[in-house]
Amino acid sequence: MTTALLQINDAQCQRAGDLLFAPVNLAIDKSELAVIAGPNGSGKTTLLEAVAGLSTLSSGQRLYQQSADINLWLQHSHYLGHKLGNKGNLSCQENLEFVAHINETTVNQQQIASVLNSAGLAGYQHQYASDLSAGQKKRLALSRLLLLNKTFWLLDEPFVNLDHAGCDWLYQVIAAHITRGGVVILTAHDQKKIHQLAHHHITLVAAIEEHSA
Amino acid sequence: MRFWALFKRDVLVSWRKKSNIYQPLVFQLLIVTMFPLGLGAGAQTLAKVAPAVVWILALLSTLITLENIFKDDYEDGSLDLYVLSGMNLYLATLSKASAHWVTTGIPVILFAPVIAVLMHLPEHTYGVLLLSLLLATPIFSLLGTVGSALIMNIRNGGMLLSVLVMPLLAPVLIFGAGAVLETSLGNSARGHLMLLLGCTVLSLTLAPLAAAAAIKINLE
Amino acid sequence: MNRIVKFYHEMGSPPSFYRITRHWLKPMLFLAIVLTLYGLIDGLFFAPTDYQQGDSYRIIFVHVPAAWMSMFIYAIIGIAGIITFVWRMKVAEAVMMACVPIGALFTVITLLTGMLWGKPMWGTYWDWDARMTSELILLFLYIGVMGIYSAYEEDPRKAARLAALVAIIGLVNLPIIRYSVVWWTSIHQGSSISLMGGSNGIKDWDMLRPLLVMALATKFYFIYSMLSRAQSYLLKTESKKQWVKQVIKKELSGDQS
Repeated sequence: MTTALLQINDAQCQRAGDLLFAPVNLAIDKSELAVIAGPNGSGKTTLLEAVAGLSTLSSGQRLYQQSADINLWLQHSHYLGHKLGNKGNLSCQENLEFVAHINETTVNQQQIASVLNSAGLAGYQHQYASDLSAGQKKRLALSRLLLLNKTFWLLDEPFVNLDHAGCDWLYQVIAAHITRGGVVILTAHDQKKIHQLAHHHITLVAAIEEHSA
Repeated sequence: MRFWALFKRDVLVSWRKKSNIYQPLVFQLLIVTMFPLGLGAGAQTLAKVAPAVVWILALLSTLITLENIFKDDYEDGSLDLYVLSGMNLYLATLSKASAHWVTTGIPVILFAPVIAVLMHLPEHTYGVLLLSLLLATPIFSLLGTVGSALIMNIRNGGMLLSVLVMPLLAPVLIFGAGAVLETSLGNSARGHLMLLLGCTVLSLTLAPLAAAAAIKINLE
Repeated sequence: MNRIVKFYHEMGSPPSFYRITRHWLKPMLFLAIVLTLYGLIDGLFFAPTDYQQGDSYRIIFVHVPAAWMSMFIYAIIGIAGIITFVWRMKVAEAVMMACVPIGALFTVITLLTGMLWGKPMWGTYWDWDARMTSELILLFLYIGVMGIYSAYEEDPRKAARLAALVAIIGLVNLPIIRYSVVWWTSIHQGSSISLMGGSNGIKDWDMLRPLLVMALATKFYFIYSMLSRAQSYLLKTESKKQWVKQVIKKELSGDQS
């Protein structure tokens, strides 16, 4: 019996009634990074969404601190998917304020400014999110992680849309989070550098068709 | 706090996107112009159908705004933010409905007298008209959250939303437009308004449950 | 008692449901056809002429059973919807979705025959009386359930769960709709003569007999049609499961022998 902080046991997901991948197991502890790999359509996003709690695992379970309680898990995790969650006609500051308040965190202007600053969005505080470039939108979404102080970061293709400098920045952010005792689970298909840093590698393989009645 | 955070954000988003607010009102003006053109401009003719027209316009103009209540959030991913914040979905739905009511329902109520004047609605019915809309517009917003949650990841779900919501709105229309009609005929509208109030209370308790269930299924 | 429990459990699993109900189709269809023929001949030729409505009342032998079925089936959809929604039972899901088109069909038949009857009786094909209006709204409810299902068709599981939710919402609202419509018509018009209504209700056994026979016939037709639809629904949505493959294999070899 392992006592890892987060355990994922025999997790499987379905899309349109078909099992996507063979059962996945993961036991991850503080200061660790897991990378989920697999070809397009193998179910990386679906798995991450289910682990995050947005959808449900069709079989298997997620145990956080040995408990399946979803609310406890949600308190300590943050998911960032393909859809970034920025509101186009809210400013960067308003977007971040909303995220903080909805997570019952209080923030002040200075915190937001410094977070935006470290995300390379200094001076964009009062710009509408819709005015940002694709890369900047991604940076805005990622800057939520710095604001929210959650242990678990679940990131779906976080390096997509970022330029070289952005990738380096994110790499540092992830490394720093792990050093601080944080946990990161991310999907990536083309990032050798992040694979080197990872403690756990999950490669999704297609599910074998069920043969029992 | 979460309730207000979501409410504040939604009101702000709608306020910035002005079309959300004036679209239903322009729609009402456009359609109300068609009535004298098609029916004849006689004040008596118009006054006779006025209770129904004012009411149906308020309903239809709200109906066209319902689709986006959850759809926008689903598409830009901000739905994930509040679903994953651990916020109670019942509360989230209630917050979305309140914001929709403030940005659509209230303008529609305030605009109703304009349409009423154009339709020659008898003046002594204005009080009941406003009261009936005050009771009914929250129902529109609440049922709207249900409809919108059901169709949030369908393209062109607007028509389907109308089909889903219309049967539920039939009693509201009967009691609401009926209240104005009875008043214009010189009868008491008490019974109508009480029943309408019943509908408001019922949808306030049940609609967020249904919407929350629809969101959960849709995210599965 | 044990056999009932066992039967209940078997009906909950798709393969046993299929295995058991497969043999019910032919007798049900047979009963439906025989009873319909008997009911129609009895109703159209032997039942006495109504002293008030003449021969045009005879449409009730189709109209009234269809109207009963349209509401009865919605109730079943609602119950199956609750089971689908709460316990995620596959068979309930199949039954629910199988019921929807049949119920919609009976609703349309009710509306059409009501209109045909309305012309000689009211002098108009359509009258916004409480029954016709609520029947029309019932049709919208059916269309809503079908609409939400077909919108999500690529994911049958989700489609069925959402359709179940829509059906439950409809079931909760049906009494309110019904009450409001009856109340509305009672204010705006005196109660109009209606089929089966008031003083000219059916008392004569010779009239009642074909009506009851037709009511039975529609039930058997419903069971037949619902089961065959539910079976093909299960075969389709479980097409990758082993039991379906075995069924297909059996059917094929059965054809050859």
